[in-house]
Amino acid sequence: MKDSDVIMLEEPKLSVPDQFYLPQVLIGLGTTMKHMFNVVVRGKDRVIQYPEEKREDLPVEKGGMTLQTYRGIHRLNKDEEGRVKCVACFMCSTACPAQCIHIEAAESPWQDREKYPAKFDIDELRCIYCGMCEEACPVDAIELTHYYDIVGLTRQEMIFDKAKLLRVFDETVKAEPM
Amino acid sequence: MIDWLLAHIPPWLIILLVAHFAILGTVAYLILLERKVASWVQDRLGPNRVGLGFGIIPVLKDFHFWGFGQPLADGLKFILKEDYRPKNVDRVLFTLAPGFMILVIIISIAVLPWGGTMESSRTITIPTSTSDITVYAQQQLPYGSTLIGSPMLVDGTADQYTMTYRYVFQIATLNIGVLYILAVLSLSVYGVVIGGWASNNKYSFLGGLRATANMISYEIPLGLAVLCIVLMYGSLDLNTIVVRQCHNWGHFLPAWNVFCQPLAFVMFLVCIHAEANRAPFDMAEAEQELVGGYHTEYSAMRFALFFLAEYAGMITTSAVCVALFFGGWDLPGLRGPASNPGLSYSLILCIVRALVFFAKTIAIIFVFMWVRWSLPRFRFDQLMMLAWRALIPISLLLLAMTAVVVYVFHGESYDGLHGPMALTLFGANLAMTLLILVGSRFVPPAPATNRKLIVAGSRFRVTPLPAGLN
Repeated sequence: MKDSDVIMLEEPKLSVPDQFYLPQVLIGLGTTMKHMFNVVVRGKDRVIQYPEEKREDLPVEKGGMTLQTYRGIHRLNKDEEGRVKCVACFMCSTACPAQCIHIEAAESPWQDREKYPAKFDIDELRCIYCGMCEEACPVDAIELTHYYDIVGLTRQEMIFDKAKLLRVFDETVKAEPM
Repeated sequence: MIDWLLAHIPPWLIILLVAHFAILGTVAYLILLERKVASWVQDRLGPNRVGLGFGIIPVLKDFHFWGFGQPLADGLKFILKEDYRPKNVDRVLFTLAPGFMILVIIISIAVLPWGGTMESSRTITIPTSTSDITVYAQQQLPYGSTLIGSPMLVDGTADQYTMTYRYVFQIATLNIGVLYILAVLSLSVYGVVIGGWASNNKYSFLGGLRATANMISYEIPLGLAVLCIVLMYGSLDLNTIVVRQCHNWGHFLPAWNVFCQPLAFVMFLVCIHAEANRAPFDMAEAEQELVGGYHTEYSAMRFALFFLAEYAGMITTSAVCVALFFGGWDLPGLRGPASNPGLSYSLILCIVRALVFFAKTIAIIFVFMWVRWSLPRFRFDQLMMLAWRALIPISLLLLAMTAVVVYVFHGESYDGLHGPMALTLFGANLAMTLLILVGSRFVPPAPATNRKLIVAGSRFRVTPLPAGLN
């Protein structure tokens, strides 16, 4: 680094009351007391009591959010005949930046396509919910639902296999049609 | 029941047990209060889920009680966590440090004046063969109490005597209580330093170093501020200092020192913040710079002991602050006879006084928390500058000023300050404040060391420094 690139910053000049700290200290204490008063006495906190109150139930100006734009856990869509729509093209697992999709392709038992996924596992703990798989899918087989509050007691049960992803479709198709 | 207890157990033992467990229990709830205050300042509500039912107990589990179960759950967590000790630490000192810290803080509660002097009487049987009944009666009294007058023979009996005795409602009646507190509290930094050294970690070590420098600097103005009060009353006994504040100035204003020595109170308040290692002076555990400071390597119960010690230290220092500046347990209406306001004839009054004392202490602790969540941490050089360039000269001046006032009103102060002297002190305090405000304009500015980091002169590029900066 050249000396000419070094910018020497001067400290801002303090005004006379500021040099004695105490006035500014008292102003700061006043600000925090105002906040405490607002929360304790007037009940004006900014808290959403999560399991009882949910952001999707609140208007946006009160801190709510639109669930329609939220990216939650995945589902594997079925076609009209109830077969898995996926054609095992590996586009989603290629596009996935977190590399959380593992597909094993097999020859399709049906006439209208060549391949289908024999196994389709998504590690929901690795997933970063970016939605790239959804974008990449040529047949709209993989989609992100709006469900965000999933829990598990082990890492193993957070790896969703094909059966589970299809079950997620069955449970969410009414609320979120394809 | 209470009579039986008082007759067989020395009163200080009961007070000790109650005070000990009350303070340790309060410490747990102070942590909850700290989190609540932090939340309120930030427009949040704070922990409010863990009730007293812990999700198991049938009826209670449906109520949250504003998070009152949180401290218990926290304590349980600390006990159950892995007590990890890293390799290459000094095993003995590493284990010793938290224990030492909590020990020092707990023994410092011994001289807190909880409720003045208790007067009580009791009827005992003194064998007729006893030669000196006063000495015999003294031996029958609770330990630490003094006999008032001589035992009186109960009418119609040969060996039943009634005796009146007094004991001070505190754990240890020490006539150098203030000195004891100052001495013991300054030992608490050893826990920090030993912990920091034994951890074999550079951040812990730096935390210990900072704590030492902090303590050395702020002990001086702390001691000087206390000396101002000691000088006014001529006593080092906390109970005496409290009792002498138990009257009114002009019929309505309690004769508390905060009203006649406001400047000393501000000094003291600032210094006990530093003493208790609390923000904005918490250099020893500056999270943003030193990971966790001296307790970086500590976990589980050992860390909890450091944590407890910090809050117990707050209780002690706040209690001393209340005793010195806010009249201790004094409230108009709780005082005894005018000749000796500390005297009380009922145990209930003593307990109420102890509760008042405690409530005032909690109020001061609330100020601690309020300050912590309002002010940013001082930089280290600012910390030293505040102590050595501001607090120490001001408190020295204040001490000299108090000495002059005490000399002028000599003798009068030793049974409590009277109106004229208090007014003079208050006026002198105001004059001092003005003097400081004006005088500090003429003090030359501090050297700019540590203010600017010059890339040009650093080890990466050794060039001569610009003119004017050396």
